[in-house]
Amino acid sequence: MDQLKQQLKEMIVQDLNLPDVKPEDMDDKAPLFEEGLGLDSLDAVELVVLMQKRFGVQIADMDEGKEAFASIDALARFVKAQQGNTSKSIGTSVSAT
Amino acid sequence: MRYINPRLRGAVLKRLEALGHGIFYLILRIAGQPGAYALLVPVVLIYVISGRRIHQLTSPYLQRRFPKHNLVERWRDTFRIVHSFGQILVDRAWLGLNISARLHCSLDGWNTILGLIEQRKGLVLLTAHVGNWQVALAHLKDLPVPVHALMHYKEEVVAKHYFDLRGESCPFRIIKTDGFLGGVVEATAAIQRGEVVTIMGDRLAGGPNATVKFLDSQVRFPAGVYRLAAATGAPIAVLLAAKTGRQSYHLRVWDVFHPSYHNRKHREEDLTAWTSRFSKALEAYVTQFPYQWYNFYDFWNQ
Repeated sequence: MDQLKQQLKEMIVQDLNLPDVKPEDMDDKAPLFEEGLGLDSLDAVELVVLMQKRFGVQIADMDEGKEAFASIDALARFVKAQQGNTSKSIGTSVSAT
Repeated sequence: MRYINPRLRGAVLKRLEALGHGIFYLILRIAGQPGAYALLVPVVLIYVISGRRIHQLTSPYLQRRFPKHNLVERWRDTFRIVHSFGQILVDRAWLGLNISARLHCSLDGWNTILGLIEQRKGLVLLTAHVGNWQVALAHLKDLPVPVHALMHYKEEVVAKHYFDLRGESCPFRIIKTDGFLGGVVEATAAIQRGEVVTIMGDRLAGGPNATVKFLDSQVRFPAGVYRLAAATGAPIAVLLAAKTGRQSYHLRVWDVFHPSYHNRKHREEDLTAWTSRFSKALEAYVTQFPYQWYNFYDFWNQ
């Protein structure tokens, strides 16, 4: 889980181009948007796309977005849960064949 | 000057407005669309001659669109723009009252839109509050993929009302812009699935924006949607409708462009460049259809 959080932090800093933020300084529990890390709705678009590209998870609606973007902790939990669901469904389809 | 209680005045005006609507609906039932159009001429004339407010509401646009017009021409312009808007309202009521009623549509660029959808990169459709924009939205039901409309509460009410009147189901799913992060999470997911997201690109209701030139003056336009297209790789098409006759309208793709993302450092200039592209398409539209601009407020101060 710690490794995943580190990957998420590095992705946010590098791909969203935040030169004043260091991954190690990011608080796992701080909100990503507005008063926390200070990301805005334009960054949200990029983040949704990055999550799909890098981790193969899709944030499909407002409720999932609210939950996933609450903090780094929440985002890591969301990725883990989504990846777990994907591997479960792959496992089910493999055993069915 | 005699004092009139503002509440009483408001109540009387409300009743008069309801009476006006009632008379128009009655004429529509008795004499159809031509009858209501005929009634519209004296009504708009009296409205333009007697009311000061309508001149205040239309002048920010008319001053910029027709900077050389004198006072008489400006009054004529105000009449024409209000009359044109009245016709759109009459058409809407007429279509609502007669389920079999149809407006004839000529399409320009529809195959371009279908071609863009086929690429499976999603599509952002930009429209604006010009011409009979609700009729343009009705055409979205003919697209082969689901359509989502980013709308705030007021737009949603107006759009739904149009389809309720017709007894038709709304051809798009609404993503509320007053939701979490302005609805961008759902809009991005829709684009990633290769679907269409449409938005009115002219009116600013909070959120990211860019200041660009429109009719020779600087104005703020919403800009978040360009970032959505750039991040997902979706193309943008500007689709605007114009009333061209009593029962006809023209739906045209005014521009297609592919915003590409550089990085955060260039974000502001990228947004400005893409917004400028939309502004130019809108300018071309009002050059051809100057009296079909329906943003009746100080648009340049939004």
